[in-house]
Amino acid sequence: MLHTATLAAICVFVCLGGNWLWGQTMIERPLVVGMVAGMMFGDIRTGILIGASLEAIFMGAVDIGGAISSEPVTATVLATTFAITLGVDTKAALALAVPIGVFAAFISMFLKNVVMNIFAPLVDKVASDDNPKGLTRLHFGMWFINYFTFSLATFFAVLAGARPVQHLVNQIPANLMAGLAATGGLLPAVGFAILMRMLWSKELSPYYFLGFVLAAYLKLPSVAVAALGIIIVVLQWIRDKQIMNIENKQKAAPVASATPHLETTDSMDEEEEDFFS
Amino acid sequence: MKITKNVSPEDKKIINRIFWRSFTVFASRAGATKAHAPGFMYSIMPALDEYFKDDKEGHRKAMMRHTTWYNITQNVGTFVMGLVASMEKKTAQDPNFDPDSTVAIKTSLMGPLSGIGDSIFWGVLRVIAAGVGISLASQGSILGPILFLLIYNIPSIATRYYLTYMGFTVGDTFIQDMYKSGSMKLLNKAASTLGLLMIGCMTATMVKFESKLSIPIEGGKPIKIQTYLDQLWVGLVPLIVTLVCYWLLSKKVNVNWILLGVLVLSIALGLLGVV
Repeated sequence: MLHTATLAAICVFVCLGGNWLWGQTMIERPLVVGMVAGMMFGDIRTGILIGASLEAIFMGAVDIGGAISSEPVTATVLATTFAITLGVDTKAALALAVPIGVFAAFISMFLKNVVMNIFAPLVDKVASDDNPKGLTRLHFGMWFINYFTFSLATFFAVLAGARPVQHLVNQIPANLMAGLAATGGLLPAVGFAILMRMLWSKELSPYYFLGFVLAAYLKLPSVAVAALGIIIVVLQWIRDKQIMNIENKQKAAPVASATPHLETTDSMDEEEEDFFS
Repeated sequence: MKITKNVSPEDKKIINRIFWRSFTVFASRAGATKAHAPGFMYSIMPALDEYFKDDKEGHRKAMMRHTTWYNITQNVGTFVMGLVASMEKKTAQDPNFDPDSTVAIKTSLMGPLSGIGDSIFWGVLRVIAAGVGISLASQGSILGPILFLLIYNIPSIATRYYLTYMGFTVGDTFIQDMYKSGSMKLLNKAASTLGLLMIGCMTATMVKFESKLSIPIEGGKPIKIQTYLDQLWVGLVPLIVTLVCYWLLSKKVNVNWILLGVLVLSIALGLLGVV
């Protein structure tokens, strides 16, 4: 078990630490973490499958300004570890990932925002000492301390948790299990809602429903929806650019002659908008 | 691209080093008060070292200037790094230039740049990449994760590179001009359109709900509730749950409460035998 726990902790450190050390390249996403964990435990196919399911669940777990709703790396690593090494049913493993992710997010935020605050005065100190080398050491030292500490949580979770988890999974009544599985199905909604908060505007909201109908009724794969979206955006861009140019010209031209013309372009604009939505 | 042409070879070297260092900008997080200030300082250090080569006190002051809170979506944050580098160059060469304006501009750009950066990279590009990745990975193909990484990273790294140069060359009025001319509005609209379309698509495919509840009928087949729901509107429950979550978020309900609510709701439905 010590061996398994070490491997799982390394997996968290490499994926999460690596993601933030170099370029936020998304190697912290369940799709990739599942593959890496699968590789480590010798069953890459199971890893990829779990990663694919968890990617959907954690789609909205985005780290924006250090506030996260759910931490996907620990969740994916633990789910994959339990599924492969303990033979826990994949569905049960997915259901376990959800509460783990929420709990891990609390640890992560506490570490990053509260504990790491003790280093803030040191940043001021290296600056006032005019010490660039010290800054480099501090920068990467903080990186190591944060992610090493965070990986330890996974180490102990596997070490202490494996036996109880196996026991627990065997004991869970069927309807509670179904409820946990349903959680995995509905939780992406929260993530999408977070993303919608960033993008939503009244005039663009029909596109959300268009995307929904394209997938739910026309069963288009997401690549096709993305391609249609790009086409819509290009058409929209060209038209908006034309309108913008007209408007800019009119701002420059005398006001009296410009006004009627402006109205016609506006009404045309609305008609096209209706057509698209 | 043209953007690298008007830059002297010495400056080019500095900008390239800033570009490479910028990958590590979020490695450390010095708590909630300074956030990624150390990463920002580390990234622009090549510029400070060069421009304040013979001015130790200037170098020290420049370092102290940038210990303030920093956080911008990292693929677009390089614009500010390039811009700060060019302004620090001005500070070093022109004694009349007010160095505090560097920090003011850096701070004022954080909000708008993060806004557009987060929605393009988190809301659109990552969602598209994940959509492609998931559909391949759910068949167990290793191409899923690999394509996901390629689709996300190639445009992001290219953006990061060009924006480092752009920040250095186009100057501090560029973003304001983009706002004034309306180009920023167009860019925002394009990102939001594509993002909303994709999230609508993902709501339909990835938020899942299926009721196993059925009403027994004497002498006949039991009626499944799910069949009725599907006839009414495919994906009715996922759509409603997503919209309710959005509505709660827009009412400033804490996201952790919403998560807990969904958790409790689904477990309750499970215990009641609805799902």
